Amino acid sequence: MAAIADAHGHGHDEALHHQFEDMDQQNEAYLVGMWTFLVTEVMFFGTLFIIYTLYRSMYQMDWYLAHEALNIPMGGVNTIILLISSFTVAVAVRSAQRRERNLVLWNLGITLVCAFAFLGIKGVEYMEKFQHNLYPGPEFGRHPEYLHGAAPNFAQLYYGLYFGMTGLHAVHVIVGIIVIAYLWVKWFLNAKNVTLDYVPTEMVGLYWHFVDLVWIFLFPLMYLMPKP
Amino acid sequence: MATTPLSKAAGHGGHHEVKFNHLFGNLLALMALMGITIWASYVNFGNSTINNLIALLIASVKACLVIWIFMGVKFATPLTRLWVAVGFIVFILMFGILGDYATRRFEPTAGWEMNRPNDGGTALPREWPPAKRPEQGAENFRPRL
Amino acid sequence: MSSIPIEKGLENSSPHQREPANYLTVDWSLKSWLTTGDHKRIGIMYLISISFFFLLGGISAGLIRYELTSPAGRVLESETYNKIFSAHGILMIFTFLVVAIPAVFGNFLLPLMIGARDLAFPRLNLMSWYLYMIGGTLILGGMINGGVDSGWTFYVPYSSMYANSNIALVIVGIFFGGFSSITTGINFIVTTHKMRAPGMTWFRLPLFVWAMYATSVVIILGTPVVAITLLLIVFERVFQLPIFSPELGGDPVLFQHLFWFYSHPAVYIMILPAFGIQSELIANFARKRIFGYHFVAFSTLAIAGLGFLVWGHHMFISSQSMYQGIVFSLISFLVAVPSAVKIFNWTATLYKGNIRLTSPMIYALSFIGLFTVGGLTGLFLGSLGTNVHLTNTYFIVAHFHYVMVGGSLTAFLGALHYWWPKMTGRLYNESLAKWNAVLVFVGFNLTFFPQFVMGWMGMPRRYHYYYFAPEYQPYHLMSTAGASVLALGLIIPGFYLLKSLANGPKASANPWGAHGLEWETASPPVTTNFEQTPIVMDEVYDFDPVLEHEQAQARKALEPTGYEGYEPGALAEPKKDESDLGGKS
Repeated sequence: MAAIADAHGHGHDEALHHQFEDMDQQNEAYLVGMWTFLVTEVMFFGTLFIIYTLYRSMYQMDWYLAHEALNIPMGGVNTIILLISSFTVAVAVRSAQRRERNLVLWNLGITLVCAFAFLGIKGVEYMEKFQHNLYPGPEFGRHPEYLHGAAPNFAQLYYGLYFGMTGLHAVHVIVGIIVIAYLWVKWFLNAKNVTLDYVPTEMVGLYWHFVDLVWIFLFPLMYLMPKP
Repeated sequence: MATTPLSKAAGHGGHHEVKFNHLFGNLLALMALMGITIWASYVNFGNSTINNLIALLIASVKACLVIWIFMGVKFATPLTRLWVAVGFIVFILMFGILGDYATRRFEPTAGWEMNRPNDGGTALPREWPPAKRPEQGAENFRPRL
Repeated sequence: MSSIPIEKGLENSSPHQREPANYLTVDWSLKSWLTTGDHKRIGIMYLISISFFFLLGGISAGLIRYELTSPAGRVLESETYNKIFSAHGILMIFTFLVVAIPAVFGNFLLPLMIGARDLAFPRLNLMSWYLYMIGGTLILGGMINGGVDSGWTFYVPYSSMYANSNIALVIVGIFFGGFSSITTGINFIVTTHKMRAPGMTWFRLPLFVWAMYATSVVIILGTPVVAITLLLIVFERVFQLPIFSPELGGDPVLFQHLFWFYSHPAVYIMILPAFGIQSELIANFARKRIFGYHFVAFSTLAIAGLGFLVWGHHMFISSQSMYQGIVFSLISFLVAVPSAVKIFNWTATLYKGNIRLTSPMIYALSFIGLFTVGGLTGLFLGSLGTNVHLTNTYFIVAHFHYVMVGGSLTAFLGALHYWWPKMTGRLYNESLAKWNAVLVFVGFNLTFFPQFVMGWMGMPRRYHYYYFAPEYQPYHLMSTAGASVLALGLIIPGFYLLKSLANGPKASANPWGAHGLEWETASPPVTTNFEQTPIVMDEVYDFDPVLEHEQAQARKALEPTGYEGYEPGALAEPKKDESDLGGKS
C-alpha cells in the first residue's frame, strides 16, 4: 500500500506512531476512538434530556409559561452561529485533507470567532436572567413578571435544567475553543503532526459537530415550546 | 508543502473528501430546517403533542444531516456506523426510565400546595421558596463542599 | 550496548549471558515511569495504586466488623459509622473493583494477548492513570476532611440538601475516576478492533479479551450517566440548581433510576473481567479446551447487553411502578442465564481435564462455588415478593460480597498469582500460595455466610447498633472472626509476592506451560512485547491430550522444590531455549 515502505512494512510516514502498522490502521483507530468518546458524550447529555422530558411532561403549563422569558431571537442567532461554525470546521477538515494550510487557518479562525460569539450571546442571556432573578435559589421570583404566571417552584425546576444543560453545553464550547485554538496554533506553526495527517483536524471537527448537535436539540426544546 | 492531497497519497487508503458544494448545501438545508422549526412552533397544529413531535422530528432530521455529511458518517467504515447506531440506541433505551412514571401516579410533594398561598394565582413577592432552615437566606448561603 | 543496565551479580559475566532489557529494566528513573506510554508499566502503576486504595477500604471494613461485634457499638459514634461504611463502599467500588482487573490486567495483557506492540492510544492510557490518581486523591481528601455519610449510593434528597459532609468533594473525585474508566474503555475497544495480530480472528481471541471488550462497552455506555447524575448533586449543593428537590416538584426516585442505570451495569463491569480471568485459569489448569468457546463469548456479550435492562431491581421498594417492577424482575431472571451458561461451561471444561491444583486454580475453583452461591441468592432478591422481605438486610450485603469478593476479588487474586511470573519475571512460593488460597476461602465463607442467615432473620444493613435485637450478635461475632481470617489471607500474599521480587528465582517465558500469546514472549516482556509480530494460526486453547498426558507423567517424576505448581521448565535458564513442554510450538 505504501510505495515507500521499508522492509518491515512501516512507511516512512513521520506521522505514524510506533504501535501501528500503517497509516490506514492509525487513522481508523483514531476515528473509531473519537466516535467512541462521542458516544460517551451522547450518554452524558442524554441523561439530562431524560430528566428534561420527564419534568416537562409533568409540568407542561408551568414550563410553557416560564419559558416565555427566554429570548428566541438570541437563541435563533446562536443556532445560526453554531451551524455556520459547523460548516466552517467541516471545510477546515476538507482543506486539511487537501493540505491547504491557508484555508484551514481561515476556516478554523472563523469557527473560533463563531464560538466566541456564541459564548458572548449566551453570556448576555445569562446576565439578563440573573438581573431578573431567574436563577434558582432564595432570590428566585423576586421579579414575578418574568415568571409569566408560572408556579415558582416548577419554574425553578425549569431554570435549574436550563442553566444546567446550557451551562454544560457552554463548558463543552469552551473546551472546544481551547482545542480548536490549539489546533490553529499547530497549523500556524506548521507542526508536522497536524499537517502531515489530517486526522487530528478531523477529530477536533467531530467534537465540534457534536457540540453543534447538542445545541440543535437544545434550541427547540428550551426555546420553542408549544402551548400545551 | 506537498501538493498531493492526502486522500491520494500512498498509504492513506483514499479517504473520501466531501465536495465543498455538498457542505455548503448542507448548511443551507440546516438553516432552512431551522427556519421551519421556528415557524412551526408558532403555528398551532391543534394538539401540543403534534407540535412537540414536529419539533423533535425536524431536530432529528437536522441531526441526521449533521451526522451524515458534516461528520462524515456517509463515508465511514461499518464499525463507525455501528458505534453511532449503538450510541443512539442505548440513549433511547434510557427513556425506559420514563416507563416508571407512565405507569404510576406521580404527584409532587404535598407540601408545595400548602406552601403556595391560594389567592388566585398572583405571584406577588413573598418569601419563596419558604425558608425551612434558618440558613436558607441568600446571605447565609455558602456552597457546601 | 553499554547502556543496558547490568543485573547485579552479572557484572563479571560475559556479554552473551546478560539478559536484554525488558520493560522493567529498560530505564529505572522515576521520570520514565511517570511519562511512560508502555501499557505494561501503566498496569504496574495501577497495581500499586489500587493496592493502596484496597488497603484503605479493607481498614474501613475491619472497623465496621469490629464495631458490629457489640449490639451497642464499640468505639464509633453513629455518624462516624455512617462515614466508615460509606468510605468502605466508595473506596472498594470506585477505586478498587471497577478499576482493578481492567486497569491492571487488561492494560498489561490485552496487547500481549492479541499480539500488538501496545494499546491503540498509549498517551491516553497514561492520562487514564493520572485521572485515576487525581480522582483517588480527591476522594481521599474528602475522606480525610471528614468523609461522606450518605452511603456510596448518594441518595437524594439527603445527599443534595441535608447532608453536611464532603459530598461534593468526593463526588468530583468519583467523576474523575469515571473518566479514567471511560478512557480505558475507549482504548480497549479500539485496540481490540484494530490491532489484532495477523491471523487473530475474533474467535481465536482468548476469552479474557472478549471479557475486556464487553466490559469496555459497558463502561462506555454506562459511566457517563452516573457521572452526570452525581454531578447534578454537586450542582444542587454548590450552584443551587434544583433537579431532584421534592419541594420544587422534583423526584428523588428519578435520581435512583439514573444512578442505578449505571450502577447495575457497573457490577457487570466488576464481574465480566473476572469471568474472563476464570476462562483463562480453568482452561490452562484443566489443560483442556474451554467447553463451548462460542457460548462463553456470546454469553459475555449477552450479559453486557442485558445488564442495561435490569437496573430497577435495586428499586423494588422505592415506590417505583409495580408494573415496571414486574418487568425488571423478569429480565433479572433472564440475565442470570448467561452467567449460568458460563458456570456450566467451566465445570464441563473441568470434566476429564488434567487438573493441576496450583494456587491460581484454587482461586478459580473457589470462584465457581462462591459465585454460584452469590448468583443464586441474587435470584432470591430478584423476585418481587422475597425482595420486600430481604431488601436492605444483611442478605443483600452477603449476596453482593459473595459475587464481588468471592467472585471478582478471588479472580483478581487468581490472576495476580497466574500472571505474576509474566509481569515480574519471578516465581513466588507456590506451596505457601496454595495454603493462602484455602485460607482466603475459609475466611471468606466464615465472614459472609452468617450474614445470609442474619439477613434472612431480619438484621438490617447500615445499622450502627442493634441493641434492641441482640440475638444477631453471635452472627456478627462469627462474621468478624471470619473477617480476621480473610484479612490475614489477603495480607499474606503481599509478603510472599514482594519477597519473590527480592529473591525469587527467575521465571522462564512460560512457567505454567499455558497457552496464549502472552506466554510466547519473555518474562518480563520487552517493551515492544514481541520481537516480531506473531502470526496466529490456530485457536487459543489447543491442548493436545496426548502431550498433556506425557507431561503429567513427567511431572510426577520430579522432586518437590516448593515450586512444584510450575512446569518443569519454569525456571529461567540463560543459555537454553524456553522449555518445550507445553505452549505452542
